[in-house]
Amino acid sequence: MFFLTYLRRELRRRMRQAVVTSTGLAVGVGLVITVTALSSGVRAAQGQVLGALFGVGTDITVTTATAPASGPGQITPEPYAQHFDSLSSPTQGTMRGSAVAAVARLRDVSAAAGGLTLTEIKSMVPADNVPPPSSFQPPVQLGVAGVDLGHGALGPLAAARLVSGRAFATGQADADVTLADSAYAAAQRLKVGSAVTIAGTRFTVIGIVRQEPGSNAPQLYIPMARAQALAKLAGLVNIVYVQAASAADVAAVTSEISRLLPSARVTSSASLASAVAGSLKTTAQLARSLGTWLAVLALLAAVAVASLLTLAAVARRAPEFGTLKALGWRSGRITAQVVGETIAMGIAGAAAGVALGLAGAFAVSAAAPRLTATVQTADSGSGGFGGNLGAGGGVFHAIIGGPVQTFANPNATHTVAVLFTAPVTVGVIVLAVILAIAGALVAGSFGGWRISRLRPAEALTRVA
Amino acid sequence: MYALTDVTKNYQKGRGTVTALRGLNLVIDDGEWLAVQGRTGHGKSTLLQILGGLDRPSSGIVMFAGHDLAQLREAQVTRLRAESIGFIFQTFNLVPTLSAAENVESALIPLGTRAAQRRRRVTAALESVGLGDRARHLPGELSGGQQQRVAIARALVKEPRVLLADEPTGNLDEDTRDEITALLEQLWRGLGLTLVLVTHDSAVARRAQRVAIMHKGRLSIRQDTRPRPG
Repeated sequence: MFFLTYLRRELRRRMRQAVVTSTGLAVGVGLVITVTALSSGVRAAQGQVLGALFGVGTDITVTTATAPASGPGQITPEPYAQHFDSLSSPTQGTMRGSAVAAVARLRDVSAAAGGLTLTEIKSMVPADNVPPPSSFQPPVQLGVAGVDLGHGALGPLAAARLVSGRAFATGQADADVTLADSAYAAAQRLKVGSAVTIAGTRFTVIGIVRQEPGSNAPQLYIPMARAQALAKLAGLVNIVYVQAASAADVAAVTSEISRLLPSARVTSSASLASAVAGSLKTTAQLARSLGTWLAVLALLAAVAVASLLTLAAVARRAPEFGTLKALGWRSGRITAQVVGETIAMGIAGAAAGVALGLAGAFAVSAAAPRLTATVQTADSGSGGFGGNLGAGGGVFHAIIGGPVQTFANPNATHTVAVLFTAPVTVGVIVLAVILAIAGALVAGSFGGWRISRLRPAEALTRVA
Repeated sequence: MYALTDVTKNYQKGRGTVTALRGLNLVIDDGEWLAVQGRTGHGKSTLLQILGGLDRPSSGIVMFAGHDLAQLREAQVTRLRAESIGFIFQTFNLVPTLSAAENVESALIPLGTRAAQRRRRVTAALESVGLGDRARHLPGELSGGQQQRVAIARALVKEPRVLLADEPTGNLDEDTRDEITALLEQLWRGLGLTLVLVTHDSAVARRAQRVAIMHKGRLSIRQDTRPRPG
């Protein structure tokens, strides 16, 4: 076919220009692929962090902003040693259970479930004016979550994976049964069938669950009715888990809840994301700003170089095109020939660019360190159910002095380490190839525009 | 074939205007060989470009086969060039990356001729100029005379009605010049072409039926001696 023969010979004749143009496009395409993979990796990492901190399926959590005075209360030393084992909500206020139903009835809400995130404190206060006995143990605090058994898919156990035993059954709403977090179970050597004491009541471990790493999960889960009874919070919840009808409705639902419960603290994954700090956030910002601009600039530069080289080539080949016009070739036919040449360079650039991009993404994945994300989880109220587990120790510490052994993070921040990968999807590769060919088309169009303006007599004059 | 009436061509050059053709009137009959002579810059090549539809006059009428080239749309002029007008240039103007056969074939592309037919016609055209055995050679592998023969084959392969030649022997040595001139004359006679040939060379011009002289954009007929081909 004459078109292809002519195209192949011309590319071979101007090999250096073809290589420069293809290389420019390849660098642009490679950067687009690498940066897009980087961004995808960062998004996935952020999703992993937010999923761990927030809970799968939960779009919004509702807590009360004002924490009422609660907890073990004022302790007065007595002439005898005192033992405490209490369950309370020291840092979060409570809401009536009817608030859950009211939220569930909102227009854009798919489901809502109440919950109690509580702090169990076990301690012994030595007798007044008597040195602590050798068996004295520092106070222990652990997180206990009250689970609404009617909404298993929404709430603190939504993201949990059952490692052993069984989950709660609907009929166990008033049973003294508990699920233990795998890390806590390992530390305390708990197994299915073991017994634990919560607020002086003996509970049987019926299952071990594992939450996402870094999710700041409570140590024990018990049925909501039992949690309400033991914490003396009958008919109350201190957190509402909300699932919006769709991801697009989250903002609307947030507004609706704020109108319904003006004093409530409404937290969505978006607002939680804004509280994320650390190297993950830095990487995300880098990928969004510098990376994206770098890719766009490289691609624009590549297209500009390709366009300039094409224009220069058209200028050099003016006598040739003038001759073809004299032979009766239409401008469109000559333009098609030039555009065909630039598209061939674009395809070569795209192929090389895909290879570069894959290599870049692989290098990023291989060289990237573990990223960390730090989130304010306690007093800021940014966190989900794990958000209240930290400060109880502080309250107790203020009362009795001395260290408190906590199973939850005693600080108001929570750090998650994320393994970073830069995944390349077929869609990204297709997009990059389209970009390269589009860039080549743009360059070819400039050449075509120049050819269409070329008068044959003028072009032939350049020969003489 | 051609009837030019009061044709003027002006060019903008800087702030001034250069008049390349001044009220030129000329009739060229079917099958005639007209040689155009004149000093450099006096409008010879401009006249050839106007005749070939490569440029348009500033004013006047250029009738070719019943059409005024000055009034036709660009696409129509392009079509006329593709079908009816062959060009030969002083510098041959072959595409360096295409073989002799492919260069000749390029003249058939705008006509939409099918590949098999193109191949037959290309072979015949190259044989008619004595280069049947050089079909696959690139222009760089051919002598100047051979390259001009390829250019002549390219001009003739589409069987045009007019052949416009701009200094076709200007880049050739004397022997080759005579060969090419003899070939042109043979083709003119054999094919009944209308041939307009611009040349500085009086030896070449003398072989034409008529010799026209361009001087400062004006044309005068100097010689009308030779009979038309039988």
